[in-house]
Amino acid sequence: MEEVKAKMNSKYYLAWAKDEGIRKKGANGGFVTATLVSALENDFIDVALVVRKKSVYEGIPVLTSDAEVVKECAGSLHGAPINLTKYVVEHAAKKRIGLPTKPCDARGIIEQAKRRQVSLENVFMIGLNCGATLHPLRMREIASYYALDPDSVVREEIKEGKIFLVSEEEGEEKEKWMKIDELEAKGYGRRDACKSCITKIPTMADLACGIWGSNDEKKTFVEVCSEKGGAIFENAVDSGYVEIEEAPEKGIETRQKKEAGMQKRAASWKEKMDEVSGLSRSERFEFYVDALKNCIHCGACKAVCPVCACEEDAKCLEMNDERDSYAISMYNVLRIFHLMDSCIHCGQCEDVCPVDIPLTLIQRRFSERMQHRLRYTPGMDVMEKPPLYETELRWSAKAE
Amino acid sequence: MAEREEWEPKILAFCCNWCSYAGADAAGLERRQVPPTIRVIRVMCSGRIDPAFVLMGLLEGADAVLVTGCHIGDCHYVDANYKTRNRYEFLNEFVDELGLEPERLWLRWISASEGSLFAEMVREVTEKIKRIGPSPLRSEWKK
Ligand SMILES: Cc1cc2nc3c(=O)[nH]c(=O)nc-3n(C[C@H](O)[C@H](O)[C@H](O)COP(=O)(O)OP(=O)(O)OC[C@H]3O[C@@H](n4cnc5c(N)ncnc54)[C@H](O)[C@@H]3O)c2cc1C
Ligand code: SF4
Ligand code: SF4
Ligand code: SF4
Ligand code: FES
Repeated sequence: MEEVKAKMNSKYYLAWAKDEGIRKKGANGGFVTATLVSALENDFIDVALVVRKKSVYEGIPVLTSDAEVVKECAGSLHGAPINLTKYVVEHAAKKRIGLPTKPCDARGIIEQAKRRQVSLENVFMIGLNCGATLHPLRMREIASYYALDPDSVVREEIKEGKIFLVSEEEGEEKEKWMKIDELEAKGYGRRDACKSCITKIPTMADLACGIWGSNDEKKTFVEVCSEKGGAIFENAVDSGYVEIEEAPEKGIETRQKKEAGMQKRAASWKEKMDEVSGLSRSERFEFYVDALKNCIHCGACKAVCPVCACEEDAKCLEMNDERDSYAISMYNVLRIFHLMDSCIHCGQCEDVCPVDIPLTLIQRRFSERMQHRLRYTPGMDVMEKPPLYETELRWSAKAE
Repeated sequence: MAEREEWEPKILAFCCNWCSYAGADAAGLERRQVPPTIRVIRVMCSGRIDPAFVLMGLLEGADAVLVTGCHIGDCHYVDANYKTRNRYEFLNEFVDELGLEPERLWLRWISASEGSLFAEMVREVTEKIKRIGPSPLRSEWKK
């Protein structure tokens, strides 16, 4: 015991599941799974929220207190662009939850905590570095492009900037891969939101885990980001679920470089994909009116939005009346306006829009300039309240 | 173009009961010329002006919306006009990004005794709007 405690005073580790089964099934060292299992068994959490693979194109969130179910769900699913925030909101009032969080999951949960929909004391966020998720339909397109039958693809992996797909046809396994950059140059690939996402390492979560910085595919690189994170990590080590070694200095550096490289690519994608930036004022107006006129007011974009905390009595729903025939509906105007300080650019809204409105771009255009002006980044720190609710202007307080 | 000359802008003004509304009143009592372009909505405090009201005004086809209230420090509800100012900054960015001219949105602090200022503001806004023409949201709505 003593010796372990003495070892746990660094911030960066390589860690892996002691259980060989978990380690093998895990995306990397199975650390995330082993830590969740240990947190369940040692009463840190009542339930774990994990993602079960239905196919390479579908992952479903499961809330469970059964360690065996958590173990079955080890591994990374890149074709399941879900956001776990709303599931946490639904259940964290009554139960302590532990879950893996991509940066956009963690940021959504923090925004909900600011709006008092969850208490972070009840939520243990085991962050996953995130290069991207893919829309399931785009993943299928890649399978076809690889000359694989999309329905026979059984495994996918993203490794060293390549997308690997493995299909099983007539008992025969076929593996194909291609570089992401090449795929994307041809129009295949990651979600638009992910291509331009710059939060790659979830330091706003309690732990941040990934392969970057690790020297062994079966060891997870872990950064301790909060006291709570330190506590469940230490517990997993103490109770024998997890083995650790200190992260090599070089690994810490590599990881930073990987992140910086991804951020740079994201910035250039953002520029490339912004079809509004070159337009004049009146052309911009026409673009927005034209894009939003197709809205059928299904409400899906609001329902999935991880930062929106309003329910049925939301202003955007209550004040909307389609008989108004406005150039842009109150629903869309209010959703865009209300999210100017808080949109985390996760793209969930666009994923579910049945009429394919480029919502990621629209929400980003309006919110990014506001957030930049406010010097405010949503989803990072629960103590930073949404500026739209504030009395004083952040910038005027400084200027006066 | 004769039609264009006849065109009078429709300007929506939200006025606080304790200051700018009384200021508008004063302008009348002092027999100052206030252009007939203005439509006033009285609120009990500028802090009551939900940004949604402003946005709806624009969508309804107002050529400009004025948000007015008591001078900073004079609000009858302590600090509500600070909130007004904060929301106005959000509205400003919104209107600009949407592609409307910045002249379609105004924030002015006008006290009960500043009738001349009120009249002057309405003249100034009317002139500016006449120069830039009807709101594109209005023409869309009329179609
Ligand atoms: C979409 C995605 C992209 C990633 N990109 C990178 C990257 O670019 N660089 C990097 O260093 N690391 C990345 N990771 C993290 C890496 O793949 C491993 O998840 C991490 O190293 C932890 O490994 P592990 O073996 O300890 O986790 P495991 O023990 O395998 O546990 C992983 C947990 O994540 C859950 N999960 C799987 N898919 C998802 C999903 N889509 N959303 C939320 N939870 C999910 C599983 O249910 C499981 O509980 C990514 C992970 C995901 C899910
Ligand atoms: S938006 Fe960012 S964090 Fe979320 S899935 Fe995409 S790349 Fe990952
Ligand atoms: S508006 Fe869209 S992109 Fe922004 S946080 Fe909500 S779902 Fe994500
Ligand atoms: S998901 Fe699309 S169609 Fe549905 S309400 Fe949102 S913008 Fe409109
Ligand atoms: S009372 Fe006039 S702005 Fe508040």
